[in-house]
Amino acid sequence: MKMDGMTIRHASAMPAPTWSWLKMNDVTVKIPDGLERTCQVEIEAGDTLDNTTSFESAIARLQERLDAERSDARADSRAICVAATRKDKGAEDLDVPALSSYEKRAALSEMAGDVAADFETGIGINARAYLNFLAGGTAVLAAEAGETEQANIRVTAENGTASGASVDIIAEDGATFAVTISLDSTAEQPTFMGSTLRVFAGRGARVDLTVYVTASDAVTLMEDSGFVLDEDARVTVRHVVLAGGFTATGLAADLRGDRSRIDVETSYLAAGTEQRDFNYVIRHRGRKTLSNMDANGVLTGSSKKCLRGTIDLIHGAKGAEGAERETVLLANHGVDNKTIPTILCDEDDVAGNHGATIGHVRPEQLFYAACRGLSQEQTEALFLSAKLEDAALRAPNDAIRAHVVRLGNQIVPDFEEEIA
Amino acid sequence: MAKNRTEVADIDRSLYDFSYGEEGFERLDAGLTPDIVREISERKNEPAWMLERRLKSLEIYHNTPNPTWGPGIDGLDMDHIVTYVKPNTDQKADWDSVPDDIKNTFERLGIPEAERSYLAGVGAQYDSELVYHNMQDTASKMGIVYSGIEEALHEPKWEALIREKFMTLIPPTDHKFAALHGAVWSGGSFVYVPKGVKLDFPLQSYFRLNAAGAGQFEHTLIIVEDDADLHFIEGCSAPKYNVANLHAGAVELFVGKRAHLRYSTIENWSKNMYNLNTKRARCEEEGEIEWISGSFGSHVGYLYPMSVLAGRKSRSSFTGITFAGAGQNLDTGCKVVLGAPDTTATVETKSISKGGGISTFRSSIVATPAAEGSAASVSCQSLMLDDISRSDTIPAMDIRAKNVDIGHEATIGRIGDDKVFYLMSRGMSEEEARTMIVNGFANPVSKELPLEYAVEMNNLIKLEMEGAIG
Amino acid sequence: MSATPLLSITGLTASVDEKTILHGIDLDVAAGETHVLMGPNGAGKSTMGHVIMGDPVYTVNEGTITFDGQDITDLSPDKRSRAGLFLSFQAPVEIPGVPLSSFLRASIAGRPGLEMKGKEFRRRVKELAAELDMDTAYLNRELGVGFSGGEKKKVEMLQLLLLQPKLAILDETDSGLDVDALGVVSRGMDAYRRSTDGSLVIITHNTRILEHLEVDRVHVMVNGRIVREDDASLIPWIDANGFDSFEREAAEQLAAGESR
Repeated sequence: MKMDGMTIRHASAMPAPTWSWLKMNDVTVKIPDGLERTCQVEIEAGDTLDNTTSFESAIARLQERLDAERSDARADSRAICVAATRKDKGAEDLDVPALSSYEKRAALSEMAGDVAADFETGIGINARAYLNFLAGGTAVLAAEAGETEQANIRVTAENGTASGASVDIIAEDGATFAVTISLDSTAEQPTFMGSTLRVFAGRGARVDLTVYVTASDAVTLMEDSGFVLDEDARVTVRHVVLAGGFTATGLAADLRGDRSRIDVETSYLAAGTEQRDFNYVIRHRGRKTLSNMDANGVLTGSSKKCLRGTIDLIHGAKGAEGAERETVLLANHGVDNKTIPTILCDEDDVAGNHGATIGHVRPEQLFYAACRGLSQEQTEALFLSAKLEDAALRAPNDAIRAHVVRLGNQIVPDFEEEIA
Repeated sequence: MAKNRTEVADIDRSLYDFSYGEEGFERLDAGLTPDIVREISERKNEPAWMLERRLKSLEIYHNTPNPTWGPGIDGLDMDHIVTYVKPNTDQKADWDSVPDDIKNTFERLGIPEAERSYLAGVGAQYDSELVYHNMQDTASKMGIVYSGIEEALHEPKWEALIREKFMTLIPPTDHKFAALHGAVWSGGSFVYVPKGVKLDFPLQSYFRLNAAGAGQFEHTLIIVEDDADLHFIEGCSAPKYNVANLHAGAVELFVGKRAHLRYSTIENWSKNMYNLNTKRARCEEEGEIEWISGSFGSHVGYLYPMSVLAGRKSRSSFTGITFAGAGQNLDTGCKVVLGAPDTTATVETKSISKGGGISTFRSSIVATPAAEGSAASVSCQSLMLDDISRSDTIPAMDIRAKNVDIGHEATIGRIGDDKVFYLMSRGMSEEEARTMIVNGFANPVSKELPLEYAVEMNNLIKLEMEGAIG
Repeated sequence: MSATPLLSITGLTASVDEKTILHGIDLDVAAGETHVLMGPNGAGKSTMGHVIMGDPVYTVNEGTITFDGQDITDLSPDKRSRAGLFLSFQAPVEIPGVPLSSFLRASIAGRPGLEMKGKEFRRRVKELAAELDMDTAYLNRELGVGFSGGEKKKVEMLQLLLLQPKLAILDETDSGLDVDALGVVSRGMDAYRRSTDGSLVIITHNTRILEHLEVDRVHVMVNGRIVREDDASLIPWIDANGFDSFEREAAEQLAAGESR
């Protein structure tokens, strides 16, 4: 049965919006008309497939503990909280600031301390609902306390289909869970694919997620995820987005437990008229939480990219540190690169920093490469091929590596032989 | 040292607090109507084209929603605007009505008596009129025009030029308060620097009297022709006291080829103010605009000076500081458009939050496909003085040219306890130590100001920090 | 010694930001020779290396550079590299996003006799890494990013050995200070001399790096001018006396020149 096309507005919205004329606050995802709903998803999960636990119950247990811990906490009397809970009195009360709608939402969420209500995914609720509909149900994969587990999720889509996966990952206290997701398609006509993921990392648990996107330029794609981290949990994420007509990558993480940590590494390429969209939202709620976001990309042709990265240092996250960095190489005239690295901060004992470097290869890099015999064109091409080589070398399994090699052979002469 | 953290309490706000009773205003029930706008225009005896633009702006104003991304402005009673703008409104402000606290603040900032009443925005003025005339004389001998914009509008020689430039950089469609400004603007400065003329002392706007209004909706139009050079200083670091609590001014700066303009402002409004000010400069080939901007005071602030680099090799630099204390939500930053080859822009900002105040640094750097060979660097640092305040950094970059270098760095944090301890171990009180560190943090801005302003700004920071340690 | 030198610099004057740094330099290096360019800090030695290699930061105002029978004065650095010139940097430039191995492969691509494919390339690079006692894990790391001083030096020497240039200029101005780096460079130079008959120009102000090295010619540079040229016997003399006398002479000559 063919489905009607659909438009998801305000997807991947950043928490604190800015001027709308910049058209960077969110993205509109257009799902092509006339696609056939299929579920081409393979999950290789060993014995982690689990019907006895759920993401909701994991959150509920965490909430219970947090509530017990803060039962004797005094009501928050900060001016920001006063402002959030009453009508704006303007300049009549000079002690209370006038809040933006975002600041108001943030203060209310801080005061409520409701893990389930705060849960979010990077692209957002509408995208998640659509992907859940495509998937037809959510697979729950769990690593029991102290165990080490692994799972591979493969999503493919054929010409004219819409295919999606929905998975919950639960790493109980002290467990280690390595998960890979491959979103791959060689479709030549409009096609949609995606995945949505909820991850709970219990106390001291470790979750490593690697996502490779190697879809053709006919594909519209959404890769959506949301994380909740308990005390001392550690999550690493690697997003490798090498191809795809329109791709939206969204990640939201709630560093709820003290000393929890997330590291996100993003590597992307866009060529032709492709479009990349990334939305990262890292909420530091626990003490001494750490986050790192590091993105590195190359844009060629007339491709477009927007990366929103938000580090949110929430009141109470004493000793938290968040850092984000992006390096983008613009290899052609006509590319459009949008970057908005945001730091929100409602706490003083924190450190936040971000940096972005956008542009061409720096003169000293060009000179160095030239001293080794590379012209400017060759050096620029090197950045592109290096990205593919790196993706192939670090591919988590043979299937994914084969997808990268397929792409590499289209772009780099002798790619397969070079990395063999 | 005691283990307990010392609270950074707010300064004695009564320094700035004062309000008019409702009876001070002639309250009108109707909102802003075309009739009121016509009345304003008629009163000013303006050319017909200006009335037309006002009416057009009014229409845009009524059709434009409030901004949704910035600090709340629900508390701003827009019906009051009528009372600010009605020509017959008796502002009933005089020096005697200025609270003693404000007068004391002037004293403590070291501002000469003669300037205080003007700074307070209460009209009557003494010796500074003389200062203004002296300044005007010297400038006019060089061919520079420095006058009220309304006066200039009555001179046929300048009317055509004003008509050509007025609200072209900041069109009323830009945002709701630009539209409001276009409809009800009143007073402000007009500066024209002819080709090749370089003025070696700054023109200072606060010396120029503007009897009709206390700078609520003033319009500043500055044209610096090719190869000319000007430094213009707007306002100063003393609190600007106004009868009304909305300020929606507009500043339009035109910088010619190889010309240079430095525009310095320390805006320090009384703390009941909604400051929604718009400033914009356009630079032609090899022209340069330098912004020095300090934002203090006001309840809500929206302020983002913008540079449009329209000519090859034109340049912009922005140096700014924002200090948000209790009850303040200051949303400040800047915008740059790299619109031609080989342009360069630098942005360096500092923001300080304290006592429950909120400061947001917001910026945009846009490089159009024409900006080949351009470079921009943005650096912003935020300092949190306590854990009840808030500080956000929202910098956007949209880069569409290939051979460009765009760099961005931002950090946020607090004063290191080790630094405070070090200074205290050398005999400073905690308050002195913190004040010294904050002044050092602000130094990149104050060092760009003329000495007397730098001193005033440092004193202002000291005042803000005073009583900060329990 | 062959009649036509491999590298011949004549009357070279170069500047940066309208400030002249090199004043009328003449220098010849024959094939297979080892030359040393010495001088106090700020003499222009590193600039000299960069100008020979064609760094666009510097402007050549006068003079010519001939290499292997070809006037290369106006050639871009990549073409000079492919002609057989090599300049080692005190440290490689950081190039995030580009693994060292990808960079190396690109640098030999299209060079006759050097180009290698897949396995052969990896074998060769591993061999050279072993020779320099370099951990092969670095090959998959981003060029220069997070490398220690010794590792950075190894990257430079690895490229020297991989590219087998006809003439290598080693800018070792800082190496004298770092024992590890010094060892790496010595090993690199030895291996280079063993495997090719290439020429060497070593830029340094520290003689330690020259121990166990057969030096054919020493050039002393002060204030952007070559003030003294001699054979290897000059090295122990400089070791004992430093550059003071050269600097004094240069200052006197300059004063005399001005008073005339």
